Amino acid sequence: MAVRKIKTVYDVVCPFCGTLCDDLEVDVVDNKITEVRNGCQIGTKKFFASNPSEHRYKTPLIKVNGSFKEASWDEALDKAADILVKAKRPLLYGFSSTECEAQSKGVELAEILGAILDNTASVCHGPTILAEQDVGVPTSTLGEYKNRADLVIFWGCNPVHAHPRHLSRYSEFVRGYFRKDGRNDRFIVVIDPRNTHTAQIADLFIQVNPSEDYGLLNAIRAILRGVELDEKEVAGVSMENIKELADKVKSCNFGVIFFGMGLTQSLAHHRNIDAAICLTRELNDHTKFLITPMRGHYNVTGANQVFTWITGYPFSIDFSRGYPRYNPGEFSSVELLLKDQVDASLMVSTDPASNFPAASVKNMFKHPLIAIEPHETPTSVNADIILPPAYAGIECEGTAYRMDSIPLRLRKVKDAPNGLLTDREILERLIEKVKEKKGE
Amino acid sequence: MERREEMSLENLILLTGRTINQGVALEGGKTTKENVRAAAICTFDHEDFKKLDIISGTPVKVSTDFGEVIVYSTISEEGPHPGIIFIPMGPWANQVVNPDSQSCGTPTYKGMKAKVQVVKDGKVLGALELIKTLIEV
Repeated sequence: MAVRKIKTVYDVVCPFCGTLCDDLEVDVVDNKITEVRNGCQIGTKKFFASNPSEHRYKTPLIKVNGSFKEASWDEALDKAADILVKAKRPLLYGFSSTECEAQSKGVELAEILGAILDNTASVCHGPTILAEQDVGVPTSTLGEYKNRADLVIFWGCNPVHAHPRHLSRYSEFVRGYFRKDGRNDRFIVVIDPRNTHTAQIADLFIQVNPSEDYGLLNAIRAILRGVELDEKEVAGVSMENIKELADKVKSCNFGVIFFGMGLTQSLAHHRNIDAAICLTRELNDHTKFLITPMRGHYNVTGANQVFTWITGYPFSIDFSRGYPRYNPGEFSSVELLLKDQVDASLMVSTDPASNFPAASVKNMFKHPLIAIEPHETPTSVNADIILPPAYAGIECEGTAYRMDSIPLRLRKVKDAPNGLLTDREILERLIEKVKEKKGE
Repeated sequence: MERREEMSLENLILLTGRTINQGVALEGGKTTKENVRAAAICTFDHEDFKKLDIISGTPVKVSTDFGEVIVYSTISEEGPHPGIIFIPMGPWANQVVNPDSQSCGTPTYKGMKAKVQVVKDGKVLGALELIKTLIEV
């Protein structure tokens, strides 16, 4: 019997969520992942999903008369470049599930095309960035929270489901330098309309009415300033509970607010974050307090970083005038599609058909669609051209930014099947083709 | 209270968001049955669900000002949250969310006023079938 050799890769960075756990161990046999240790359920699934399967594309595909036909890279890239060059207002969207080098190539392509360039922040923490640009942000790295925080607030986020190892690595159970007894040394507060699984293991759960967080944030700010509010309750929370919370946050040694989509995707959007940041800043009159967004995609923070250092803006950028312009209310992908102002799209490692509101998706399908996507998704199945890449962070190296803006180097644990190109290589070749066609 | 054949509930608030099952399912394959089970599901507060007088798994039609979608129903593990229903993020939820961003670029995925109607013979579509309904021929 042939002996099968197991290759184990240590300290692998997980390319799923913004927690960017960097302690995974992955076993590979015959270029297939056979075991993942230390990962959460979702991250582990992602590693296994990179093995060849019926859902994974093996070659570039071009849609001819309604069905896909296999194509060479050259042919598929040529067709894709044709679509992009012919379009008057192409959209380049996604970029949050790939590495920084590919993201920078995306910016280059957008500039050459005079396209709209956007990343998934525009449907998740875009409002967070708007608020940070308005009022600044007192924040820190996750390591500081791990070692120092004795009061942690999770506001409108549910890390048990969305960032499964955040609690055990940084914020709740983990033992830190000054928090030697881990969970027992921390007071955990959850503020959410639902009694989430995160809330069920908290010390204090405050059930706020949906979409009324703005009122509650400002009520806490008022009480901290010594203002007596002539109300029995605010946002469904009794005044006694708000006062109890205000006392708690004032009297801790080192507090932190982690917040998620509950604040950014409800009606008040960036105004919620604005109020949350102001609350954090004001708490520093009493004690040490910081705030950090729970970023979703593993490298959405990187997309904001890369876009900002090249164009000056983090997302929703319009190059149509030859220079970058920034106005999320006008240039975010969802808004543009809603108004049917896009005539071709290139989707990079993203599935807007699943993640955008139906009205935007309808308009996206009216125009040519190119998907750089390893897997069968509702977007890729309805695309005109599919360019299947190697998995960033599994089949190629690169840089990714954790939710606290710490860059980590992604590792390669196995080779891509069929010699598939990486996102970066695909974009580089697209740039060449586009330049050729534009006669540059 | 008058007992009707197929119950409905009005004036609910719809929230959407990540669940771990939905996360695992989407990494495992967005076009699979697992994704339907994980994301095409509306969870109810325990008491609200009693009013519907159905067993867990019965299809319901969720309607908002922005659209409607048929999904499975079940009791929330993250209750009580009277008056609130929850559908995991994904193509099903996105048929009924509010695309308006109040000019900040990000749609309002949470907090829509919703109505729920039991449709015992309703068909819950797979991700691809559902998205196909959005393509104009």
